[in-house]
Parts: sequence; structure tokens; C-alpha cells
Amino acid sequence: MSEAPWPPGIEPVVPVPGYPNTWTHTPARAPFTRVPGATEHAAPAALHRKLPAGEANLAEVVKGKPAIGQLMEISGRILDEAGRPVPGAVVELWQANAAGRYAHAIDTSAAPLDPHFEGHGRVLTDADGRYAFFTVKPGAYPVPVQETWWRPPHLHFSVFGPSCLSRLVTQMYFPGDPLNAIDRILQAIPDEAARSRMVARMLPPASVGSVHLGFAHDIVLRGRYATPEG
Amino acid sequence: MLPTSQQTIGPFFPKGFFGPADHDLTRMSADAAPTTQGEAVIVRGTVTRAGGVPCVNAILEMWQADAQGRFNADPAFLGWGRTFTDAEGRYAFRTVIPGGFTDDTGTRAPHANITVMGAGLMRRVLTTVFFPGVDTAADPVMASVPTALRPLLVAEKTRREAGLRAFRFDIRLRGENETPFFDL
Repeated sequence: MSEAPWPPGIEPVVPVPGYPNTWTHTPARAPFTRVPGATEHAAPAALHRKLPAGEANLAEVVKGKPAIGQLMEISGRILDEAGRPVPGAVVELWQANAAGRYAHAIDTSAAPLDPHFEGHGRVLTDADGRYAFFTVKPGAYPVPVQETWWRPPHLHFSVFGPSCLSRLVTQMYFPGDPLNAIDRILQAIPDEAARSRMVARMLPPASVGSVHLGFAHDIVLRGRYATPEG
Repeated sequence: MLPTSQQTIGPFFPKGFFGPADHDLTRMSADAAPTTQGEAVIVRGTVTRAGGVPCVNAILEMWQADAQGRFNADPAFLGWGRTFTDAEGRYAFRTVIPGGFTDDTGTRAPHANITVMGAGLMRRVLTTVFFPGVDTAADPVMASVPTALRPLLVAEKTRREAGLRAFRFDIRLRGENETPFFDL
């Protein structure tokens, strides 16, 4: 397997103006270059034992106690740079509730919690690299910094691929949201095409039905893997 | 196809994703027995940002070879763990002293890779920890770092915990004694 260096324009430019934490957390020194070896190319083959598949329906974890919000399904495939599906990949999703509040002690915003929405789930991709979650559309929320800044509705994804270098944490955005164009985190990606690849595609509502909306989103991990590992 | 961009993990990575043994590399899962191979040890430290301020809910993932220097070979040893920093920026892993090995890059001294993600980190950072008293002179990763910075990649021996040898490895994201990080 091999992982080429990140192509230009795809990695975020840091630190980010207007996002104060990036100025205190981003290393001042450039990372050192070394040839990746066995440690970087390998990955835990039995990761699913420590991170087992769990909840794929975030919108109704307890039957009869639905979360409040716009019901939606997000689905897609985890692929490698050669376009091959990555089967058995651990995919984690977490998000704010419909009011833009995370069910996390650190989130002290004034927006209400939803007692029926924890907002996180974990699945494994199937043989075609497919994942799917049923959830509610997250709300936008303000970031507590001096210069006002609202995060657009977004989903957080954490994906484990076949090598440690293919490990990816990213975010997914919704098509047509006016906050996308002024989001300091999305706009930190210089390449417009790379930004557009982080925006999900809305499936034709007529084809999805009258219960929920559907969005499709593929995620491409670094590397080209001739044969699935593990 | 082009890879999807990295974005920050943010401040709100859910506590609900963590199981009771996620920080323990020596076992496959919380209900599995730990490996019988190698010396179990504790690796702990703090994650700080500029000015030495602790990072809260930074997410760390640790990955290493087993005591014989192999990956995915011992069926009782996962070699991977994940944890988060507490309000004081502290983290801890339980693992075994890894074995060294030879790969395409050369002769690797015993080491573990630790990746850190957190609010304010738009891209994850990746560092490598070595153990004190182990010869790293021939290690190609250590060799890629200027001599003066190499001690920053060596954990410090601390007092034993519950009979286990323990090591301290502080990760300074930015500023004085900034930890050396490596290309992804």
C-alpha cells in the first residue's frame, strides 16, 4: 500500500484568522519529514473489537422517544484514492442537536438540550464500503469568540482506514447553507473543489419518501490499497 | 480520487465513544484478558498549548508493535488505544514495552506513535515516543529530528504505579520545548 503526500490545496491552512484557538494550538515548527515505515502503514486489524459497531439510529435511540428535529438519513461510501471501497472501516459520527447544542458537558451554550438526542453513533462499512446513519439535521451555533462566527450545520466524521496514515477526522456540510461560505473552518481549505467535496448531496426527496430527507456523502481516505487488510 | 480534507475534531468529541479499556493497548477489548507477552507499563503525561496551558478533551490515539516488534500478530494484543485529556490536560495509557524491528526504513528502536486531535488543531498531529535507556542512535525516525530536539521524544521514567513501571511523556503542541511532530 502507499500513501502519497497530501495534494496541494486540500489540507487546511493554519492558523486560521478569527479562530483564536488555532493560534495557540498549531505547532509553530513544521512537522519533520521521515519515510513512513511499518508503524505508519499498519493499523489494528481487530479495531472493531475495541470500537464495536453501535448505534446507527441517532434519531430514536429508545423506541417511542424520537429526537426533535428534521429527520434525515446520511449514507455513502468510504473509498480509497483509487476509488476502491474500504470494507469494515470503523465510522464514527457526532453532531449537535437540532437547536445547535452538543450533549457534552463542555458545551455550555444557551441552546436547549434534547433529552432524546445524544448525537453520536458508530458503524462499520459493509463489503461495498457503505455506511448509513439515521439522525436529525443539526442546527447552526455560534462559536464563543470575540468576532461573531456561526458554525453552519455540520456532521463530524471519524474514520479508520487500513493504515494509520489513512486515519481521517473531518466534517460534512449541507448543500445550499449560506453559512458555509463564511465558516472559518470550512473556508480554511484553500481549494474550492476540495471544499465542495465536503458538502453532502441532497437526494431527490421524491425518491427518498415522505418520512425523512436523504443525503449522500462519500469520504475518500488517503492511500491506495490493493487488497483489504485484516 | 482526491482524499477528503481534514477538519478539526473540535471540543465536543463524545465521552460516549469511550469504553472502559480504550486506553489499554494490552487488551483487545474491556472483556478480554490482556496479553501475557511483554512488560506492562503506564505511559502518562499532559497535553498543553502555547504558554503551557492544559488542553481539555484533547483526543489521543496510541499505536505500537507488540513486545516482539510485530503488528497484528499476538491475538491477545491490539496495540491501539484511545483516551482523552481531563480538566488538567492529563492522559494515561496502559501498554507493554514494544519490541524493536527492522522494516524498509531501517532498524527501528522500540517506539509508539501517538496522534493528538483537539479543538484548535485543524489537522491531527503525530509524534513518536521512545523509552529511556533504549539505544535510538540507529533509529531512522529519531535521525530525522535535530539532535537538540531528540530528548523531547524520550519518555521520562517516573515512580512505579501499582507495581508497574511508569513513564511520563508530555506533549506540548506549541511554544517552549514544543514536541517534535511528523508528516502525515
